[in-house]
Amino acid sequence: MIDIVIDTQLASLFTSAAFIIVGLFAAIFLDNIIKKIIGIAFIEEGANLFIVTLGYKPGGIVPIFLPGMDAEWFALNSAYPLPHALVLTSIVIGASTLAVMLAIAIVLYKKHGTLSTSEILGDK
Amino acid sequence: MNELIPLMVIIPIACGLLLNLLHKKDTAIKILAIVVAIVLPIIPLLSNYGLHYFGGHAPLIENPILLETLPSQISQSALAIFHPAITYSYESLQKLFIFVLGIVAFFAIFTSLNETKKVSGPYMFLMFMGTAAVTALLLSNDIFHMYIFFEIAALCQVGIILVSSTKENYETALKYMILGSIGGPLLLLGIGFILGAVGSVNISDIIYAINQNLVNPFSQTFLIGFGLILFGWLYASGLPPFHTIKSSIYSKALPHSAALLQSFTVVTFIAMGLVIFRIFSYLPFLKVIILVFSLIAMILGVTMAIIQTDIRRILGFLAVGELGYIGIGLGIGTTLSITAGLFQAVNEILITALLFIGFGTVFYLTNSSDTKKLGGLITQNPKIAIMVLLGGFAMAGVPPFNGFQSKLMIIESALKAGFPEISIIAVLVSIVTFMVFMKAFYSVYLKPKPQDLSIVNENIPKSTILSIAVLLIICLIIGLFPQLVTDNISPFVAGLI
Repeated sequence: MIDIVIDTQLASLFTSAAFIIVGLFAAIFLDNIIKKIIGIAFIEEGANLFIVTLGYKPGGIVPIFLPGMDAEWFALNSAYPLPHALVLTSIVIGASTLAVMLAIAIVLYKKHGTLSTSEILGDK
Repeated sequence: MNELIPLMVIIPIACGLLLNLLHKKDTAIKILAIVVAIVLPIIPLLSNYGLHYFGGHAPLIENPILLETLPSQISQSALAIFHPAITYSYESLQKLFIFVLGIVAFFAIFTSLNETKKVSGPYMFLMFMGTAAVTALLLSNDIFHMYIFFEIAALCQVGIILVSSTKENYETALKYMILGSIGGPLLLLGIGFILGAVGSVNISDIIYAINQNLVNPFSQTFLIGFGLILFGWLYASGLPPFHTIKSSIYSKALPHSAALLQSFTVVTFIAMGLVIFRIFSYLPFLKVIILVFSLIAMILGVTMAIIQTDIRRILGFLAVGELGYIGIGLGIGTTLSITAGLFQAVNEILITALLFIGFGTVFYLTNSSDTKKLGGLITQNPKIAIMVLLGGFAMAGVPPFNGFQSKLMIIESALKAGFPEISIIAVLVSIVTFMVFMKAFYSVYLKPKPQDLSIVNENIPKSTILSIAVLLIICLIIGLFPQLVTDNISPFVAGLI
């Protein structure tokens, strides 16, 4: 039996790539609006996961400077907090985009009686 | 007075939020919207040039006392120079574009308040929020901040389409959102790649890291980041392959909001284009890529405008074609060409706004924008017809209007840089633009009035006529005294090159 050892950061990067590929496939090729929206959510989360992963440091500590800590030791061992802060904002943006898209989907479903993008958009 | 720099973004956001809360209180909305719309172009004139650090967190190197207390890994590395906070950079170029954007926003809001019978708080909120978002795009010296306001601007554009209550607006909004929701995260991913390579999202820091060889700018990480950011730029500015959806967006908006939406597009194009230019100018193929997309935009824009029958769609495609001129200026990459491109951007914002509001009067009178169903409207209001005609001359580059000056500069710069082919294409596209515009003008104003054409509103509000007249006068003044604009652009371009 072969043991596959893969480190956390690499695994996380692969997961985010998988999220983005699956999301792109769903957003481009699937016809159902809801499935498209789920695909878009996958792309967004994939991008967020990718950025979170950038801040990861193997064996690193939470980037909070507590009293009594040696500044030099902290600088060497803490995880990089900037990507985490950025992702928080990005999640909010993603949530609002999804909310607007779902609202449009509801209106269009009421108007056309279908969730099929090809039927709703036709040749527009 | 660097404190005024963030106010250019904060005031429209705060006003927008307040207007949203004032829903149904028409008089209060009107007063507040007009007051803030007047303030928008004034703040950039009052503010001094400089940088604004949010939270007051300047780079560590500016605070030697604090720097001494920090470990050597920070104090003796690039981290001491890097910007820890979001930074706004306000220079002559930002001043010019925020001022012009403020003028267009004022006229769009002014005409909107007088043309629509029922004032909508959320609609006003979206107009102000969109203006704040593109202003932030211009000011931001930070690629992540750019992404945030890129998304907010896209959401506001969709919102404006949704509240416009035009036919099939929801379908267009959905299409735009799906494309945007793919473009947005891919842009974020590109920013992630750059962040991973440099460790900062501040543009000055990224440029510093490249210039000091702290990173390898030709690495795959950088190149993938470049590709993804370029994709986001193409989407946001409606360059091919997104030109069709962009012109659809304009055609589904009410005329005054279409005037504002096109200004958002041009400003986003400039803001993001300059960011790409600043960071990736070392790439030998960057200028070629910008030139190729711009030429395609020019040619596709005007050729697709020929076959349209809806005046708003014609203007939408012509606006895409005009965007190509700006791209050519950036793509040639000389001091003269970039100045010409940015000058063209200012002119395009003003001229297209004039035409959208001008042709919008036709929609206001007849509730139709289909050229097949329109005709003979010159008798209805000859003054507006003449002003629209002059606006069309300005767009096509007829002297003495501003469009002539900027297009002449672009052609001149292309010839000087050794691209006579581009000059020929630019002249040809200009001729076709003139032809397309005259065809639309003839269909709407000059051809015999169809029997079944009914006039819904007899009188056009005086505010609309005033807006068109003032925009035309501004175009004429810039055409006669181009240095009023170019003097503000040249110092920025000199620093850029």
